[in-house]
Amino acid sequence: MSAPEVYSIAQAPITCHTFNADRSQLALSLNDNNINIYTKQGKEWQVTETLSEHDKAITSVDWAPRTNCIVTASQDRNAYVWSQSLDPNTGRMVWKPTLVLLRINRAATFVRWSPNEDKFAVASGARTIAICSFDPENNWWVARHLKKPIRSTVLSVDWHPNNVLLAAGSADMKARVFSAYIKDVDKRPAPTVWGEKLPFNTVCGEYASLTGGWVHAVGFSPSGDTLAFASHDSSITIVYPGGPMVYTIRLQSLPHVTLTWTAEDTLVAAGHDCQPIVYSGGPGGWSLAGTLDDSATKTGATRVGTVGRLNTAAFNAFRNADTRGHTSETVTDTELHTIHQNTITSVRPHEVGAGGSVARVSTSGVDGKLVIWNVSAVSVGGLAGRLGAMRM
Amino acid sequence: MSFRKIDIDAFDEDVLQESELYDPDPRDPTQVLADAKQKQSTVRSTLSRGDISGALNIALDSPPYGPNVDEAKNIALQTVVSVLNSTKATEIPNVLKSLSEDAQDTLMKYIYKGMGMPGWGDVSGSVLLAWHEKLTEVAGTGCIVRVMSDRRTV
Repeated sequence: MSAPEVYSIAQAPITCHTFNADRSQLALSLNDNNINIYTKQGKEWQVTETLSEHDKAITSVDWAPRTNCIVTASQDRNAYVWSQSLDPNTGRMVWKPTLVLLRINRAATFVRWSPNEDKFAVASGARTIAICSFDPENNWWVARHLKKPIRSTVLSVDWHPNNVLLAAGSADMKARVFSAYIKDVDKRPAPTVWGEKLPFNTVCGEYASLTGGWVHAVGFSPSGDTLAFASHDSSITIVYPGGPMVYTIRLQSLPHVTLTWTAEDTLVAAGHDCQPIVYSGGPGGWSLAGTLDDSATKTGATRVGTVGRLNTAAFNAFRNADTRGHTSETVTDTELHTIHQNTITSVRPHEVGAGGSVARVSTSGVDGKLVIWNVSAVSVGGLAGRLGAMRM
Repeated sequence: MSFRKIDIDAFDEDVLQESELYDPDPRDPTQVLADAKQKQSTVRSTLSRGDISGALNIALDSPPYGPNVDEAKNIALQTVVSVLNSTKATEIPNVLKSLSEDAQDTLMKYIYKGMGMPGWGDVSGSVLLAWHEKLTEVAGTGCIVRVMSDRRTV
């Protein structure tokens, strides 16, 4: 039950972050066209390298744990795969980019390596997901496009553990499960709950958000048999494709923009409310379990249903002025009573504990902070304990 | 600057249409209107018996949305507003707790619609503000976010 580790990386938004395999290095973008690689030195993270090749802001980054390659996606419509090689002149290891032929005419929004690290998926504003695989003859990465039936910008993707299925959340208010089977790369996949025959661009499932919000984040459970997605209508939906059983939880608070599963029955989601929230459940139903950020409850200022973001001394002072006519002392304390001081942009698994479930997750935020949380330290107090509604 | 007014989407055969943004109401427009009128009289008789939760639940059930049902929408708003206006401020929290989550979201839609048309019919800003405050306490800011993102406007 140790406290979360908090690192103030910069006075700028962190748009995306990723760790290397042994968590000794960290790659992130500070809302510009560079990726900074940090190495842990003592208790702080120090910039040891900067990857510059993109022309516009980087939207997403992912570090493959086994091949040690970094893939970046950017608003300049390009993606690069970075790998380390020995520089013969200096004898040091340097990061070299390899071009990816994405063939998209809008920004790339999101990128993730497949579990086997032989493919990656790039979501984009061109109503397309580019599935990229390596072409050794020409020494570059080539893309095949998932197009139908996507009607708008794809905001996030997540790979199924079988390396073939891909979930995508899109601004056309739908979450979908596609087959991203590529003949030269993949072996014939075993049948799953999502389907048996899976040629490229098979749509295995299509699920609308509760009241028509953009789907910000999607995630397969560790087994791949369950899908969760968070949308901009302040709801989170868990889908069991067998029934199909669909459980939707309406949030009391602001929408989540990112989520990750920590076990087959637990997931962590975070977003505009500035705190990571834990949900748990199973095929029988899902509910909100609590928050990882117990600093909000320690101060005793949290009321049931209060948005973390509105829970500040400044806001309370204005409310007192409004409701009671107090125009008391000038407000000096403008801090939120949560650890993150602004929207959380990304939550990712950090450390796998006993039994294969994720023991710690990392979050990065618009406030320039990187926080590593213990998943077991769920605190219920201060959060509205309202159970999720079921929707069949 | 006339080029700024050119509808470039007209040349895109893959353009996203308004009708693709939400599922249409399965009912026929005349059916919707008849339902709204019938609901109005049911709500009136329920209100006269003093059953406010019951009346509000009926008024918020399957609201008209989408194109071509403007008259039904107006009747539905009148119906909801008539319930809201005839509730004592002290009863509001209990009435809200008796609503389903769906009905709470729909009520928030009508509150915002009413706020957008001050002085129309019996719409009273102070009544709507009182309901808005209590509803936000019960359903949270998430309820407001759902109303803003929902294209099935009432």
